[in-house]
Amino acid sequence: MPRARTQRQDALFYGLLTLTAIGFVAEIFLVFFKVPTEARMGIVQKIFYFHVPNAYAFYIGAVACFIGSVAYLVRPTDARDAFARAGASASVTFGAVVLTTGPLWGAKAWGTLWTWDPRLTTMLLSFLIYLAYIVLRAFAGDGAGERRFAAALGVLGAANLPIIHFSVQKWGGQHPTVITGSGGGLQHPDMKIALGLGFLLFTLLAVLLIWVVARVELGRNRLRRAEEDAIDVGLDRRTEA
Amino acid sequence: MSDPTQPNAAPPSPDSRSTTFQPVTGEAEHYSGEGLLVSAYALIWVILLAWVGLVWRKQSALDARLDDLEREIEKADAASARS
Repeated sequence: MPRARTQRQDALFYGLLTLTAIGFVAEIFLVFFKVPTEARMGIVQKIFYFHVPNAYAFYIGAVACFIGSVAYLVRPTDARDAFARAGASASVTFGAVVLTTGPLWGAKAWGTLWTWDPRLTTMLLSFLIYLAYIVLRAFAGDGAGERRFAAALGVLGAANLPIIHFSVQKWGGQHPTVITGSGGGLQHPDMKIALGLGFLLFTLLAVLLIWVVARVELGRNRLRRAEEDAIDVGLDRRTEA
Repeated sequence: MSDPTQPNAAPPSPDSRSTTFQPVTGEAEHYSGEGLLVSAYALIWVILLAWVGLVWRKQSALDARLDDLEREIEKADAASARS
């Protein structure tokens, strides 16, 4: 890669990373010191400002995996495969946080860590699909067939996303529906600011994580090709000698 | 027991060391527990993001080494094509 382009990429990455770090510190102080405590649930409601943006970041990862997978099936390239794989990794990371913070809230609000509510169940199912994607890529090799199979899984996984989103409206259940198309149920301006900032920060974090993982995957592919080329030109024999 | 904060206090002997920790009673705590908790959370995020930055930096170094390796392979390939 040209040096000037690498430097621009580095500057952009470190800039976004610094901005995200500062934003997270501000968000935490905002949530705990500025945003009023919710009247019925108390301080446990503050999990909401991290739980919901995390779920949103899970969708970003899943959509990235979907786009990368479709693009790979149309025309297979290393970059498209790396993008899909990075999206799945981000989904698993954010999904794990959603499935941890949700039960923590549920323990206080519902009196139980887990219930087979439609949204919880569909979210768990989707998380398991992306976990299966990651496990498949880690243990089933990196040939063209495995990549195509993983891409099909990446497309299939996205089919579950609208089901998670609309499960509350469609099948009811206990999961709250505070954020709606008509403006949402947050009754204080600071609550809206904290949630808005949370969405922005988790978007940045999702972009950064997808970027980092995709770059690592691309580096791995380059290394594999370099090893193959080295064997072709006999460099491995020279190294052994 | 002598007060070690006083300027003329004798240096503490092994016998005068603390053997118990007593909670403060009747006055406010010196540090806000809420502030410490929030600072801890903020620090966790900063450390996590610093780690992401380190991964990026390591990958940059790895990419530079890969560039060198690919150049060497190209050179070797060209040399073997000439001979």
